[in-house]
Amino acid sequence: MNPEETTAGHLQELRRGTVVLACLVRLRIPDYGYALLESLNTLGILVDANTLYPLLRRLEKQGLLTSEWNTDEARPRKFYRTSPSGEQLADALMTDWRRIDDALAGLTTGDEK
Amino acid sequence: MTILTDRYMWAAARTLPEAQRAEFDRELRERIGDATDALIEAGASPDDAERAALTELGDPAALAAHYVDRPLHLIGPRYFLAWWRLLKLLLITVLPFAAIGIAIAQAVTGATVGGIIGAVIGVGISVGVHIAFWTTLVFAILERTPAPAGRRGIDVAWTLDMLPALPEPGKASRLAELISSVVFLVVFAAAIVVQQFGVPWVPELASVPILDPALWSFWLPYFLGLIGLEILFAVAIYAWGWNWWLAAGNLVLNIAFTLPALWLFLTGQLINETALEAMRWPWGDSAPIIVTIVVLVAIGGALWDVIDGVIKTVRARGAARATA
Repeated sequence: MNPEETTAGHLQELRRGTVVLACLVRLRIPDYGYALLESLNTLGILVDANTLYPLLRRLEKQGLLTSEWNTDEARPRKFYRTSPSGEQLADALMTDWRRIDDALAGLTTGDEK
Repeated sequence: MTILTDRYMWAAARTLPEAQRAEFDRELRERIGDATDALIEAGASPDDAERAALTELGDPAALAAHYVDRPLHLIGPRYFLAWWRLLKLLLITVLPFAAIGIAIAQAVTGATVGGIIGAVIGVGISVGVHIAFWTTLVFAILERTPAPAGRRGIDVAWTLDMLPALPEPGKASRLAELISSVVFLVVFAAAIVVQQFGVPWVPELASVPILDPALWSFWLPYFLGLIGLEILFAVAIYAWGWNWWLAAGNLVLNIAFTLPALWLFLTGQLINETALEAMRWPWGDSAPIIVTIVVLVAIGGALWDVIDGVIKTVRARGAARATA
């Protein structure tokens, strides 16, 4: 495995959980798959469609998202929205994210105490 | 939506349960439509956009499998070790017995040595393939059987008690001894059975039993039984290492084999008269010398085996005391 592949693999692992968190926070306002993909990538949260669509389904299965079909337009679209348990998870993940960020900041500046 | 998309949808949906197809179809069409539109907006032609969108989705069967959480591996990490351990255990226990059984059956029905080896290899391969196939099939089914909620399925939780014991010093070398003993004893037993049908590569003895066929009424089964005991004895040595009980057992076994064999040999009951005639025995003046050599080799071999056992017992005791 060359160094670039190794880097790409680790970056992917590091981002995996953050995509879940970003989805849960972003979907407090209901939206459909492609719009979510666009807005996350515009914000700099890099995720590709083959990751995002299965993730949305999994989160829905776990009860963290709810969904509703919108048939107002020519193309029916499934709108996802963060559920109350999704909100709780988002809070817990966000708290942990901040804690890790602080810890890493302390580690890099050598100012752990 | 064109024929290409329809073909993709059909290829993906056909492996899904009927109940999930409608929802899957709707979701996927939304995704393909949105992706295609975005590419058209970016300046691609509708055809190229659709092709690119479908290509990005990848293999439809894989997509559908992910959709229903169907595993894309035969046996996953949950069952892999259980499968691997069971397979090895079955192969090392069943295969040797099958091979011995086939060899004996072939020998009894009068097959040639080449025929026996051929049958053992042929049936051995087929038994091995069957064991591997059916074991793997069972685990592949288990992999696809959902465990009841909150249960782990049939895989056993690993505990500290499952740690293997450190290899006993000497057990590895005893394994080599076990294998060579068992191979020798099996060949010996096979030779006793096969000699009944003569020695095919010596024309005069092609269909003449070497040992007196009258011995089948008692003595040859007795020797075959002793060889069976010797195999058990070799396994016991492997399992427990040499000790005084086993050294004594070794003495008893050697006496039980060598004494009757020598008695039969010296009283002329061992070798078939017809075979002796075919070999033109006695060979001039050398007969007494040859008989003496045979007797000395038999006694010497048995004696050495007994002494070897005693030496190994003393050494094993010494090693045990040193480590205690």
